[in-house]
Amino acid sequence: MEISPTIFIVPTGIGCDIGGFAGDALPTAKLLASASGCLITHPNVMNGGTLSEKDQNIFYVEGFCLDRLAKGEIALKSVKQQKIGIIFDSGIKSEILARHLQVADACVATLGINVHSYLVTQKPLKIIIDSDSSKMSCGIIENPDTLIEAGECLIEKGVTAIAIVAKFPDDSDSPETNIYREGKGVDPIAGVEAVISHLISKFLKVPCAHAPALDPIALNENLDPRAAAEEIGHTFLPSVLIGLSNAPDIVELPNINELISLHPNQIESIVVPNGALGGEAVLAGIEKGLNIISVKNKNTLKVTNEFYHYPNLIEVNNYLEAAGIILAIRKGINLNSIKRPLEKIEKCYFID
Amino acid sequence: MKLSSVDVYLDWPVSIKLKNLREFIITNLEQKGDVIRWSIVDIQNSIDSFGTKKLKIKAVLAN
Repeated sequence: MEISPTIFIVPTGIGCDIGGFAGDALPTAKLLASASGCLITHPNVMNGGTLSEKDQNIFYVEGFCLDRLAKGEIALKSVKQQKIGIIFDSGIKSEILARHLQVADACVATLGINVHSYLVTQKPLKIIIDSDSSKMSCGIIENPDTLIEAGECLIEKGVTAIAIVAKFPDDSDSPETNIYREGKGVDPIAGVEAVISHLISKFLKVPCAHAPALDPIALNENLDPRAAAEEIGHTFLPSVLIGLSNAPDIVELPNINELISLHPNQIESIVVPNGALGGEAVLAGIEKGLNIISVKNKNTLKVTNEFYHYPNLIEVNNYLEAAGIILAIRKGINLNSIKRPLEKIEKCYFID
Repeated sequence: MKLSSVDVYLDWPVSIKLKNLREFIITNLEQKGDVIRWSIVDIQNSIDSFGTKKLKIKAVLAN
């Protein structure tokens, strides 16, 4: 059966009911990948702290590159294995660094992942979290140049994909963190995480993903199951290394020399939470006339089709319904044929 | 390079079609810096008779 390449987006840091926590959209991604035969999604969907999973029908693509794919600027090339380098923020305490290095060794020893080398930044990245996280978590790093320099050095050493581990402020007792852990709020650090990985994607053009380095956190008996994957280990690095281990190469377009696995012109649909239609990939998809499948998935935004009136937007109640829509698109079945009442075909007239 | 997190408010006039909205936003953001991350986080219909919509964009820019 033909595939129907589909982009699956759960924007980072907007408190999505599904996908706003610790890899809790991963089962959904597997479902949509099965329905489409080819799903392109980003680390926020796939990374569940210590937990993650590979799927031969899923391309793991960092958000900045995902936007560029939707815009038609890049294509993807499947690889059997990436040679991963890790950038550690020099602000990380030595014991936490040692824990992360053991995780990298474990991924080599137990999973057969090619983690090649690591580098500690020359200056601390210095995370600044935007305190106004009521709608979308955000923030910046004070020293972006030191991050880029470290990435350049690793690429010169031969790595083909980059994991970044940044030291985040110890805010384990903050109201935002506690609300998030209990499943009620926006992930307060997700926005800065996106900025860090976007910088590597933008300036170095290699597959990348980020894991935060956090101090051990006190037990919370009221922990929401969706946040639980971040509580079962000392680091969040395993899911990043698993995702990057065979993430596709980024191929700049136009390009006639590389063997391309997925060209942007093949993409047929974008699945996105209802209310989150304001991202670059969605707007690029609208420019190309793609199917936008807008799924009810409670979040903090209200950027809906009420303001766009885009005709190729399909609103569904849940991801199970979205999977059915994708399967129908993949099989070339008219969606209206499955709905009732079924209207008679339209009569057309010659234009004078 | 220095990063800044900014809220940008734009009027989206009816003369800008939906398929040109992304380019319209990018053109405006690039006047303020190199764009690292952005998204529309709010839209409001204007009360004027021109049909202009009000956009709120959250962006991270590099300078």
